[in-house]
Amino acid sequence: MSGAAILHAVRGGIFRRRLQTGVVAFVVLISTASTVVALALVVNSEAPFDHAFAAQRGAHIVATFAPNVAAARLARTARVTGVTAASGPYGEVRVTGTSEGMHFEPQTLVGRATAAGPVDDLVIQDGHWATQPGQVVLATGDSGSGLGFSLGSTLIIGAGSHRQTLTVVGLANSITGSASGWVVPAEIPLLQAAGGTSASQMLYRFADAGIGAPLQADVARLKAALPRDALAGTMSYYTAKVEQDGNIAPFVPFLLAFGILGIVMSVLIVANVVSGAVVSGYRRIGILKSIGFTPMQVTAAYAAQIALPALLGCLIGVVAGNALATPLLRQNATAYGVGGLAVPIWVDIVVPVGICALAAVAALLPALRASRLSSVQAIAIGRAPQAGRGHAAHRLLGPLPLPRPLTIGLAAPFARPSRTFLTLAAVLLGAMAVTFAVGLSSSLKRLLDGISHQRAEPVRIQLPGDGFDGGPQRIKVGPKHSKAPASNPVGLQVPTARAEREILAAVHAEPATRHVVAEADDSVSVAGMSDQTQVTAFRGAATWTGYDLVSGHWYSGPDEVLVPTGFLKQTGRSVGDTISLAEGREALRVRIVGEIFDTHNRGLNLVTSWATLRTLDPGIVPDQFDVGLRPGSSAAAYVNAISRRLGPDYDVELNSRGPAVVDAMIGLIGTLAALLAAVAALGVLNTVVLNTRERVHDIGIFKAVGMTPRQTTAMAISWVAGIGLLAGIVAVPLGVALHHEILPAMAGSVGLRLPAKYLAVYDTTMLLVLAIAGVLIAVAGALAPAVWAARINTATALRTE
Amino acid sequence: MDTIIRFDEVSKSYDGGRPALDRVDLEIGSGEAVAIMGPSGSGKSTLLNLIAGLDRPTSGGVTVAGVRVDQAGETGAALFRRNRVGMIFQFFNLLDDLTVADNVALPAQLGGMRRAEARIRADELLRMLGLASHRDAYPARLSGGERQRVAIARALVNRPALLLADEPTGALDTSTGDEIGALLAGLHRSGLTLVLVTHNPELARRYASRTIELVDGRVADPSTRDLQQVVG
Repeated sequence: MSGAAILHAVRGGIFRRRLQTGVVAFVVLISTASTVVALALVVNSEAPFDHAFAAQRGAHIVATFAPNVAAARLARTARVTGVTAASGPYGEVRVTGTSEGMHFEPQTLVGRATAAGPVDDLVIQDGHWATQPGQVVLATGDSGSGLGFSLGSTLIIGAGSHRQTLTVVGLANSITGSASGWVVPAEIPLLQAAGGTSASQMLYRFADAGIGAPLQADVARLKAALPRDALAGTMSYYTAKVEQDGNIAPFVPFLLAFGILGIVMSVLIVANVVSGAVVSGYRRIGILKSIGFTPMQVTAAYAAQIALPALLGCLIGVVAGNALATPLLRQNATAYGVGGLAVPIWVDIVVPVGICALAAVAALLPALRASRLSSVQAIAIGRAPQAGRGHAAHRLLGPLPLPRPLTIGLAAPFARPSRTFLTLAAVLLGAMAVTFAVGLSSSLKRLLDGISHQRAEPVRIQLPGDGFDGGPQRIKVGPKHSKAPASNPVGLQVPTARAEREILAAVHAEPATRHVVAEADDSVSVAGMSDQTQVTAFRGAATWTGYDLVSGHWYSGPDEVLVPTGFLKQTGRSVGDTISLAEGREALRVRIVGEIFDTHNRGLNLVTSWATLRTLDPGIVPDQFDVGLRPGSSAAAYVNAISRRLGPDYDVELNSRGPAVVDAMIGLIGTLAALLAAVAALGVLNTVVLNTRERVHDIGIFKAVGMTPRQTTAMAISWVAGIGLLAGIVAVPLGVALHHEILPAMAGSVGLRLPAKYLAVYDTTMLLVLAIAGVLIAVAGALAPAVWAARINTATALRTE
Repeated sequence: MDTIIRFDEVSKSYDGGRPALDRVDLEIGSGEAVAIMGPSGSGKSTLLNLIAGLDRPTSGGVTVAGVRVDQAGETGAALFRRNRVGMIFQFFNLLDDLTVADNVALPAQLGGMRRAEARIRADELLRMLGLASHRDAYPARLSGGERQRVAIARALVNRPALLLADEPTGALDTSTGDEIGALLAGLHRSGLTLVLVTHNPELARRYASRTIELVDGRVADPSTRDLQQVVG
């Protein structure tokens, strides 16, 4: 028998069984694509900062020099021992101003002609580079170095004849966070004239940039090469690395969970689809053998018959996986604070090779088995399940008070236990992913509220002069009053009693007001800590302000404080311990009565009563008023109403949503869960297609004795609906367990503990709905082939053996 | 005699090839026993399929028991078969996963009859056909004759007016075939209209009062012969 005969058999098998060929190719395509996505996300969460730092040639040191150091002299520092690359000198100016009516804190703008450079290669993530004066490119990410405004925003710097207006034309990532934004070099003297503080910037990479002594030695060599006091300040890459590693860490546990789920599901489904395709061809194998094909030829023919569509599916799947991964990785890059993430080349090679190898094994095993059977045995096994299988199920399910097509359909899976098991496993994993994702999203939304307090206190009315701390945006209010920081030589100005009365009168006049409380923020010393610690005090009842308790209880009297988890970790204290606070000459011992979930000021912000803080700072005055609204009230309408009551001297604004990274996570979770559910549905589709092909003669009999198309569709769907229901019921507790495991791991990776309410997101109704997820996945996968089964021509089906 | 089956210029082709039926006109009266005969490939089974609504003609009209079967949708055709027609096939077409009783009760249950009621009706038919002891057996365990009797019971469960049999004895030995033939004859005498496809002239002679011959998709003799008259 010549190779041409085998080729003919392969061609016939592929083109005569187009549906099956198509299903194999499609399932392999989707499995390959989802595995590429899963692996790319997991791999890119492994030290993305380090990879991006290398790719973007990040600066080990960002050095700021006094403006009077000659540019040529600075340029020569590129030849200092240990320096492997240098960029600059760039003009640098520190500016402050307003944007959209809001003051922003001093920011560093650097004059660069291009985004690219030998050091600190900037990645433009939106818009374009500045091409002329009047344009600015801002740094992206909420790493704290950026202003966070969008394309088209304007920044107004200075006043009068030297006023400069900059339009945001681009957003770019500096892996080292070398500036808040960039302008063309010609803009720098204009900004200096507008009141900016000028300096020069150099960026360096070193041969040995290890944290600690090596980097300190590098900096010392730079200083030695320049006049005394030339070097005004340095920032090492380590600051950015720590911050961005903190952004990345929470992603890793859930990406790993989804990644593993996705890979396992892909393996299961490819194995199920491919082996099923071969098994359904046993009759044809028997016929080929009966006309002279040897066992080896039959095996080769069937392996090729599967390999070709599988290979096609893999190749297209890699392309599709890259296309799907790209926007997800771009979103992750923003959340991680790196320039860009990409699918590693090795993933594009390993995944299709692995999937093809899996398909080959899944095809070879049943093909080898079939080749060892006699022709008669192979034909007899054919499409028909082993005689006797499923009889007990039919006897048990037949008496159920359900329409007959459903009881017949529910019993059918027992005739093919292996296929049923693989389908059950795939649907279970898909439903588990959905359960996990729903819980995780709900928890993250509560976590986002816990960080931002947006739901509890959507409106804040703040006195001007308080700065940003990296948390929710603050709003300035009060008739031009400001509370200057202690270092401000202008001195302290306190808001008048009239201003306070006006604010409270306006708030109480609004029917939507539910709560209002005055809040003061101060800095105190904590015994044992080198830096000052922020304290927030409330005047009045404040349990509604959105601080979620991890343990303990809200303060109920003076000399009691609430502290975040970070504070407890750093000080080694526990709830119930006492600590010593001091401000100026005043000192006080307070008891820690509760641990709160709070990430402001790097998790070191204390919360206490007005009376407690007044002991340390007798002159305490409110910095802001926090407002809670009645349910159903529009916060935006409330802000407008209060603004009208208070007039233009007061600024009233909405509390912002919180860190974009959490929104990025929620979006990613939804996408991954939908992908896994789709993969599971594909597994079901394959099962129903195979069942339909095997049972086409039986379907003909059913239709011949009077089964209508609708009844046939219902029967075909019920082949897998029972599997889906069982999978859903089992998946729910597994998904909940996974959620309870992963979420604390995510929080723990950034040193946080979670309040119980962030985990307790599954109520009874939700669990019942999620249990149906398995059925929905099964029905979604079964619908198309079930409708096809109903449309089979009865006479043709009866002729099929 | 009322006409129960009428074909008006019915043609049926598959994939644009030579027609399996070519402009066939025929009428079968209610209560008749008619044998459709012809060589292999003459269109006998196609004709039966069209009567049962298992397939649709390429052109022409098929009216059975007052229903334009050719114009019925899939649902209409299924309901028609369920309520008006009982079908018996050469290779029985029983469902191997269901017991004998479940096979027989199936058409009744598809029509909405409750399981208990359908089982009573099935048991009645199985007793009538001498299969009561096999009610819980599976078809694979039965002989050919027994399986065909199960198929007959299933065909009768909804009390059809018309019984269609496609080579009912083709897979059986002679004596078993005679048993089945006699059974069908008895059912005809009880009032059922019987249309029997066969290539066996002896079977046609014994159990049909009239023969329609098909050759290459056409009725061989437009004025069909009366077998009783021929045999005398």
